[in-house]
Amino acid sequence: MSLKPKIALFQCQWCLYSPTDQEWVDSQLPENIHLIKTPCTGRINPLYVLNAVQGGADGVMISGCLPEQCHFKTGNMAARRQLEEFNDFLDYIGYEKSRMRFVWLDLQDRGIIQKRLAQFEKDLEALGQASNLVTRVKVAEGGQNA
Amino acid sequence: MSHQTLSDSLAEQVKAIPGGEMLMMCFSCGTCTSKCMIQEKLEPNYNPRRLIREAAFNFEETAFTDQTTWLCSACDLCYPACPQKIHISGVITAVKQLAVAQGRQNPYQVAKVDESTCVACGLCVQVCPYQAITLTEKKVPFRGMISVASVDPGKCMACGMCNAACRSTSIRLSQDFNDNRVLENLWSWLESEAA
Amino acid sequence: MVDAARQPLIEVKAYTEVEKVEGFVGNFKVTLREKAKYVRADRCNGCAACANACPVEVPNYFEMNLAPRKAAYVPMSQSVPLIYNIDMDACIHCYKCVEACGALEAIDFSMEDKVTEEDIGAIVVATGFGHFDPTPMTEYGYGRFPNVITAMEMERLNNSAGATHGLVIRPSDNNRPQKLAIINCVGSRDKRYNPSCSNFCCMYAIKNALLLKQMNPDMDISIYYIDIRTPSKGYEEFYDRAREAGIKFIQGRPAEITEDPDSHQLFIKSEDITLGRVIEHEYDLVMLNQAAVPQPDQDHMSSVLNVAQSPGGWFMEYHPKLRPIDSPTDGIFFAGACQGPKDIPASVAQGSAAASRASRILHSDTWQIEPTVAVVWSDRCVSGKGQACGICERACPYGAIDYTKGISAEVITAKCHGCGACVGECPHDAITQLHYTDAQVLAQIRTLLAVEPEKKILAFRCQWCSYGGADLAGTSHFEYSANERGLRVMCSARMDADLIYEAYRLGAGAILYSGCHPQDCHYITGQIVGAKRAARLEKMFARLGMSPGRFRTEWISAAEGDKYARVINEMQAALDAIPEDQLKAEIDRLKPEMEKKLTKLNEIPGVEEAMIQVDFIVKDLLNKAVPV
Repeated sequence: MSLKPKIALFQCQWCLYSPTDQEWVDSQLPENIHLIKTPCTGRINPLYVLNAVQGGADGVMISGCLPEQCHFKTGNMAARRQLEEFNDFLDYIGYEKSRMRFVWLDLQDRGIIQKRLAQFEKDLEALGQASNLVTRVKVAEGGQNA
Repeated sequence: MSHQTLSDSLAEQVKAIPGGEMLMMCFSCGTCTSKCMIQEKLEPNYNPRRLIREAAFNFEETAFTDQTTWLCSACDLCYPACPQKIHISGVITAVKQLAVAQGRQNPYQVAKVDESTCVACGLCVQVCPYQAITLTEKKVPFRGMISVASVDPGKCMACGMCNAACRSTSIRLSQDFNDNRVLENLWSWLESEAA
Repeated sequence: MVDAARQPLIEVKAYTEVEKVEGFVGNFKVTLREKAKYVRADRCNGCAACANACPVEVPNYFEMNLAPRKAAYVPMSQSVPLIYNIDMDACIHCYKCVEACGALEAIDFSMEDKVTEEDIGAIVVATGFGHFDPTPMTEYGYGRFPNVITAMEMERLNNSAGATHGLVIRPSDNNRPQKLAIINCVGSRDKRYNPSCSNFCCMYAIKNALLLKQMNPDMDISIYYIDIRTPSKGYEEFYDRAREAGIKFIQGRPAEITEDPDSHQLFIKSEDITLGRVIEHEYDLVMLNQAAVPQPDQDHMSSVLNVAQSPGGWFMEYHPKLRPIDSPTDGIFFAGACQGPKDIPASVAQGSAAASRASRILHSDTWQIEPTVAVVWSDRCVSGKGQACGICERACPYGAIDYTKGISAEVITAKCHGCGACVGECPHDAITQLHYTDAQVLAQIRTLLAVEPEKKILAFRCQWCSYGGADLAGTSHFEYSANERGLRVMCSARMDADLIYEAYRLGAGAILYSGCHPQDCHYITGQIVGAKRAARLEKMFARLGMSPGRFRTEWISAAEGDKYARVINEMQAALDAIPEDQLKAEIDRLKPEMEKKLTKLNEIPGVEEAMIQVDFIVKDLLNKAVPV
């Protein structure tokens, strides 16, 4: 595959303790990775993931805090419950399960996000382009097409 | 200059509220502040250590208007790190309770319920980490006496989990982070990549 | 150490464990286990030929595992006596050392541990302190980040005899660090691990910083601290010197150390309290100045020596201010950090003091103790009749009572300090205390309550605290009720329940049960025994329907004369609040209850005769109109 895989990176705004890493994510992400910052991983609506998938993203990465370290107590656990289930559903209809990945970052993990992204990119390259669900249809709240 | 009696002082009031008992044990080592994510990500002037001192030395006005009082989300990263075992978010919540009891408003945003569409399914109640949402019976225009979700502004920390969980888009947070904006942002990237 | 080894009157027993200590001051029997070294002390000349020949390498504990050692080794090059030792856990029995030793024939694989029993007059305990292992403090990443090291590892790194010959290097890449951070109070002043201050680490951090600065003036050194404590002579000047030398002091306890996984550089984020701002700095090497903690086997030693431990695990001294060198057991003394963390000057001072305290014992033929010791009436002790009891043994703070089921309990007089806890606790009145026998104390009670007992406040005072408090109230002219009648016993633990029942039976208006504050007790844990009994009594009197205020428990120190006066006045007020006829009725109602508890009182040797005598004397005095 010549083109680099397109990755939508959903990042909880609290999960990077080190300021240098946060700066890297904010301003130096490679072009094939798109950052969407959310107040908490629990705030990620499955709708966002669905839109990313239908719009042609090859992979979705969700980075949050470790359990017990969530800024909103249980947000990361709520997110995993909700999004894992959604992931299973996507897998069933043809978007491979390994295209969505959770990353839980410890406070002391400096420079880990870069490595995790690189690894994810490599794994996605092996999987090839995602084409099954790329309908290019925008989906809005409540199930209506926007 | 008038002197307050000791029992009326802010420090004693904070100590009387569960969670605030250990207030006077702080020896100002600064561990909580350097561990704090709000300080790191949101507001460099945020400082739990300073708030504890303000409360301990009865700077009531300063404590009640300090951002620290209102921004803490009780994530409790600082609690296990504190060498004096002070439940810092407990102290902050106690100060906040006293401020609310004086009729002060949370200057930051809280979740809002659209009562015309809420179906009182209770998903948001389940998902809220702060038990800030309850289902209450209420008279709603055009719908009569029905049960709807209602948010306690003293407890809401604006995490938005209710927004993500709601299936009828009836509970939402403020303007700076909403679904439409996220989707617009996402699609502008997806479309430029596709082209 | 070398001097001590050469002194003919000092015998150094290295590699020897104390297994058992029995006996008492001047007559200890100590069982020693001299462990087998597999090298004969009389032949080894310390030439190191065996170590050079040994093919086995294991981590060197003394070098904080930064360097290896052989299975044939000496712990350190300055060891006294310089005799090699073969580590049997590591030895592979190749016997190369035997070959290397050659004609000396010092190596003997058939050696066994030697157990001896020795007569010892006095014991000085100088077992030192251990180091806090910072691994559980995951926020500092010790064990996870290679460049985070402990103070002891730094000590070995910059020691010219150490693993690197004095070259301080980063463990990750062996480069020389340019930016170094020292973090103080790692595990100390921390309620999660050790709440106390380790005493010397502030000075230790400054010493290390200055030393490193001297070796490499370009090194950038910062010390993170909560407070810098420089309390002794010349210490503050030393702190000044460090600042002059350009060492940076940052007030603020770091919350987290993070590491760049590629370069192993460390980042410390902490609040700079004086700036009120959070700052992050990058460092090449971080030294954790860990807490001083009791030795890992301190609990074991404490039971071998029969010496109590203070909170935190250190050996407990007899009295924190007045007898900081003596242990509660006569003839055992402490020197140095085993009794609590202390720096070198303080340890040397305590060591010299302990030696001179010990020599007092060694140079005397007889040893004086307080005469108020406890004595068992063996015919009354139920243990002698085959019943299980042992209450006296549990009450004794000094382990001075020998209790074996089937044999009547025995007091080791030389160990007894005369608190009377056993006397107060014994449910069969089988123990008495010389000079404070039941007969003597009961006689005093009877005299004090001879006239108008319902108006009297009988105050039981402990010799060391509340008696002193009452004394101070008098000399300071604090006015308190004239109805108070004071009665001295050695400790609140001696205030036998029987004495209190008897006082109420005689119609006492109110009783004060007073002693030292818990941490001040002259007899270590005597006050705890007393306090437990007082709580029991309080509950019982409440159940019997006694008016509140007639029985009061107060802990009053010798400096609290004002408190003593206040307590007595409050008790007088409480007594005045009860109408006289109601009080009399209550006393009459409770009298049979008290009698029920006192049926065996007259069986105690001497009590009956004493009571007859006292009644006779009191009557005589009243006839002569002497005020009682």
